[in-house]
Amino acid sequence: MQNIDLSPLLDNVGTSTTADTSAGRFNVWGNSFAAEDLPAPGSVVMVDAVPFTIPPVGTGAPDNVRCAGQYLALPGGPATADWIHVLAAGERRVEDEIALHFADGSVDFEPVRVSDFWAAPPAFGETRAFATLMNYPIHTQFGVPASVWSQRVPVTRRAPVVGLGLPRNLALHIFAVTLQPVAVLTGGAVLTGGER
Amino acid sequence: MTAVADAQQSTRVVRPSQARRQPPTFYRDPLSCLQSIFGALVTDAGHDPVATLGARWEFRHIPGDVRPEEFYFPERTQGDTAGSMMPFHPVHSAWSVPAEDDPLGELAELIERGILPIAAVDNYYLPFRPAFHDVHAAHLVLVYGVDRARGLVLISDTMPPAFAGPIRAEDFLNAWGSANPADHQDAFFSDSGIGRRYLSVQVGTDWPDESPAALAEVLRTNDADLTAGLAGEAAQWTGLAGLGRYVEHVVDAARDAQAGPLKELYTFGWSQQAMCTLHGEFLRTRGSQWDIPALREAGRAVETVAHTWSGLRVTAAHGWPDPLAAADDLHRHGTRLRQRYENAAVAVRRALAVLSQPAKEEE
Repeated sequence: MQNIDLSPLLDNVGTSTTADTSAGRFNVWGNSFAAEDLPAPGSVVMVDAVPFTIPPVGTGAPDNVRCAGQYLALPGGPATADWIHVLAAGERRVEDEIALHFADGSVDFEPVRVSDFWAAPPAFGETRAFATLMNYPIHTQFGVPASVWSQRVPVTRRAPVVGLGLPRNLALHIFAVTLQPVAVLTGGAVLTGGER
Repeated sequence: MTAVADAQQSTRVVRPSQARRQPPTFYRDPLSCLQSIFGALVTDAGHDPVATLGARWEFRHIPGDVRPEEFYFPERTQGDTAGSMMPFHPVHSAWSVPAEDDPLGELAELIERGILPIAAVDNYYLPFRPAFHDVHAAHLVLVYGVDRARGLVLISDTMPPAFAGPIRAEDFLNAWGSANPADHQDAFFSDSGIGRRYLSVQVGTDWPDESPAALAEVLRTNDADLTAGLAGEAAQWTGLAGLGRYVEHVVDAARDAQAGPLKELYTFGWSQQAMCTLHGEFLRTRGSQWDIPALREAGRAVETVAHTWSGLRVTAAHGWPDPLAAADDLHRHGTRLRQRYENAAVAVRRALAVLSQPAKEEE
């Protein structure tokens, strides 16, 4: 698994602490995730056996990428992958596309589907990675959970990925990205063209 | 006898008016209080809220009509919000304002007659709402009891954090009578006086049967309206042509640095997004129930339309302070929205073709 450093793109403060709930502004109303309910910044947590690096939540610094068409070049260079895993949340349900850029110059658009962060069930079969209390500008709200979802995007092309083009969709926020390498097949015959 | 003692004497004899049971709840995250409460009342009457609220699929925008309220809905039949949302079922509603001298008495009287009024309120005054003493916003709650002797009103609110129970009549009256002034924290649901309005809903008994054949008729009607042409001077922008005109209007306004249409988009778009959500779920679940794959796919395609509304609405919500900067993204989201409506309409037509096939005779 390869954790991708999102630091250069972080541009939204989606979390806050009880000491200053107005510091976060995930959505237009100034709602934010309660950082006390999230893992510590910089820690690596496993969600569905996928490791994610937690961004600087609760520090007042940007902790997620609000998707506006940014391009993320993979910092480690080309990487083969089966899945792109994301920790993400939507301002309402979001269905859009991520552009996968490959080393050979090809580009594939693959669907990214993320559920609402505000008191919602997983609409797209995601895993609820974290559920926190909901912070409002002047208080912390009981009974309105804020969810961060673990979702995955398929890489169908058998070629190294060099970068990700994020959607131009402000409703989608991404907190962390992890690449899952191509699975190594350990059994069965390898067929060549002539044997089919 | 003093005035206070007189009042106490009179309140002792006022019996609480309340529903025979606590109302059911209905909620989906893309819905507003309007669909949620109508769904609760339909459920209370013994019917399926998704099938009832989800039968109609249309696009309708009425220029100049959008009010900054969570429960705004563009009505095909003016004044009948429920009838406009559920045209295939005998459900109708009407707005009223009670007499000045005893507003709670009028609600109590309705409850005694078995009609649960839906009160417009300002969230600012409701202790259980997140906006309490923070943000003004026009919302709906279902009133299911009035206890004038104890100064309590029983209300049900299905929107998170969800609440059902008594609140002080004083709080209710403040919320119900609020001027809901303009609030810089909420550009979409404030600045619309509440004025003690309430909706009364009538759920009829002549309920249509639900079957593949009946659904085919519904889909045929929806499709005819969705694909109909639009006159140049039409007062209501309807169907795919109306959607195209609406997107063009919003983008033009943004390029002209007008914030108003962008604020309205977030409010208005909720009504259409919720409709797509319910219609999509209705078709998809019936496709499962009746084992019709094309119907499941049509439902999912309509749900995709609902999810595409998010991008357009949120872009407008964040973009209204600088409309010019948001114009290109509004154009992109609006164009995609129209494409997804068209794709979904094609998928629904495919499902309609399957539904319209004569049943195979059993061998």
